[in-house]
Amino acid sequence: MSAPITHLLDGETVTAVAGEVWSALVGEEEFLVPGHDGPVVLGPSAWVTVTGPWNGLVVLTCDEAGTADLTRSVLQMRADEEVTAEDVDDVLRELANILGGNVKSLLPGPSALGLPETGVAPLRAADVDTCRVAASWRGHDLAITIQGATEAPVFTTTEVPQ
Amino acid sequence: MRALVIDDSRAMRRIVASILEGFGYETRPAGHGREALDVLEEGWVPDLACIDWNMPVMDGLQFVSAVRANPAWRSVTLMMVTTESEHGQIVKALAAGAHEYVIKPFTADAIGDKLALLGLLPTGVPA
Amino acid sequence: MTTALATPGFDWVCQLVRRESAIVLAPGKEYLVEARLMPLARQMGLAGVAELVDRVRSRPDPATNRRIVEALTTNETSWFRDGDPFTTLTSTVVPALQAARRPNEQINIWSAACSSGQEAYTIGMLLADALPGAAGRVRITATDLSRDMVARTRAGRFSQLEVNRGLPAPMLVRHFTRVGTEWEIAPALRQMVTASELNLAGPFPRLGPFDVVYLRNVLIYFDPPTKREVLRKVRQVMRPDGWLFLGAAETTLGVDDTWERVPCGRGSAYRPTKGN
Repeated sequence: MSAPITHLLDGETVTAVAGEVWSALVGEEEFLVPGHDGPVVLGPSAWVTVTGPWNGLVVLTCDEAGTADLTRSVLQMRADEEVTAEDVDDVLRELANILGGNVKSLLPGPSALGLPETGVAPLRAADVDTCRVAASWRGHDLAITIQGATEAPVFTTTEVPQ
Repeated sequence: MRALVIDDSRAMRRIVASILEGFGYETRPAGHGREALDVLEEGWVPDLACIDWNMPVMDGLQFVSAVRANPAWRSVTLMMVTTESEHGQIVKALAAGAHEYVIKPFTADAIGDKLALLGLLPTGVPA
Repeated sequence: MTTALATPGFDWVCQLVRRESAIVLAPGKEYLVEARLMPLARQMGLAGVAELVDRVRSRPDPATNRRIVEALTTNETSWFRDGDPFTTLTSTVVPALQAARRPNEQINIWSAACSSGQEAYTIGMLLADALPGAAGRVRITATDLSRDMVARTRAGRFSQLEVNRGLPAPMLVRHFTRVGTEWEIAPALRQMVTASELNLAGPFPRLGPFDVVYLRNVLIYFDPPTKREVLRKVRQVMRPDGWLFLGAAETTLGVDDTWERVPCGRGSAYRPTKGN
C-alpha cells in the first residue's frame, strides 16, 4: 500500500514554500494570506511538470489584474513603465518554476522538472487536485494547485549523505 | 568585475543582474548555456557566471561541464542559481565543477554573502 | 485601521527592552519596533503595534513583555558572517590550542548570543574538518536571551532561505540532510552543541572555562557600563590563554583594558592580559 501523496505535499507545506517565494521575489514586505475556498480562480496560469516516481503538475493561477501587479512587483518596475504580455508570461513562468522546483524537492527519489509553460485557463489534468492552496495577495485571488497521481511513489533511497 | 547572468527567465536575469550591479559588477545576459558559451568564445570572460539549471538548448549543468573542460576559462567562478534544491542535485553540480550554489528563492543578501565567501566582492562595497 | 506607534508607546518599549536586556534602542528606531512587533500583535488578534503596547501597559503580562523583548533583540544571522573570526579559528586558534593542550583534552567554545545557531554550527563544522577527533573533544555552548532562539539552535533545522545565507555549498552537502522543506544539521554536530538561555546583562550561571568565546554583534547594543561589566564576566569564564572574538564594529579598547588585541587577518582577536 502506498501512502497518499498528500502526506508529502500538504497545503501547509505548499503555503510555506509559496510564502518564501513571495518574500524573496515579490518583495520583503509582501505576504500571501489565505484565500477563500470558493470557485477556482479563472485567469492566466503557468505550470511545470514533475516527472519521476511521481508524475504531476504544479500550477500557479492568478486573476487578470493580479498578474499585472505581480509582474510590476517582481520586475521592480516604475509606475510609468508598461507591463507587456511577454513580461507577464515570463514572471508567471518563473514563479511556477520556483514553486515547482521546491515541490519536487519534497518528493522521494530523483525527479525531473520540465520547462515552465503558460496558458489562459487553469489546466485540469485530473478531476481532483492533489493539493490546492487558495491565497490572496494585495486583494488579488490566486491559486497554487498540484495535480497528478494521488498515491505517493514507493521509493527506497540508497543515498546516504556523508 | 564582470558577471555573466545565464537564465531563460528575463525576470530572473533582471533580478540577478540588478543585485550584481548593486555590488559594482558589469553584467551581460544569456538565455541559455549555448548563448553563454558564445559570449565566452567571443572573448568576454567574466569573473563570475550565475547559472540557472533548467534551460532550453543547453542546460546549466552542461554549461558548467563545458566551461570546466576549457583551461582558458579556469578563472571563471561558477555559481548555480536554481530552484533545483535536492541534496543529490547540489552534489551533482559541485561534482561537475560548480563552485557555489544558491537556491531559488533567494534574497539580495544571499548573493552578497556568497560573493563574500568567494572573495568576489569588489573592494569598497560593504558586505 | 491600525494606528501608528506614538512617542510615549515607543519610549515605554525602549524602557522595557533596556530594563530586561540592557539593550538600548536608539531614537528613530520606531520603524524597527513596528516591523518586529507586528507579527506578535497579529498573533494576539490585535490590529497593530500601538494596540499591542496599549494592551500590555494597561494589563501588565510578563509573558508578553518577554516576547516583546525577544522580538526586538534577535538579529538575522548568516553562516560565515564576517569570515575573519572563522578563518582565524582554523588558521591560528586551533594550532595554538593543539600545542597547548593534551591530545584528548576537551576544548570548550562559547557562542554567546547564538541566535538560531548558525554561528555555533559554523564553528562545529570547521572544527569537525580541522581538528582530528573533534566530535569527542569539542563542546560548544550556545546561549541566547531568547527562548525561541535557544529552541531553534537545539533543533538544528534551517529553512532554505537560511541555508542560502553564506553557508558554503560543499559544507551544506557534507553536513546537512533535507527534511521536508528544511535542512537539518548532522547528529554528530548537533551533539557537539548545548544550547541554553542566558541574559548577558544578568549574573552568569556556572560556565566554562572557555578556550574560545564568540561574543559578536551584541556589545553594540549595550551602554558603556554594561559593556565593561559583560567583558569582565566573560574574562572570568575564560581560560588565561583563551581567545575572544567580537563583531567587526566592536572592540575592548577604551571599554575594558584588561584585554590584549591581536591582529588576525583583516580583523582582531582579544586575549586576557596577564595578571588580571
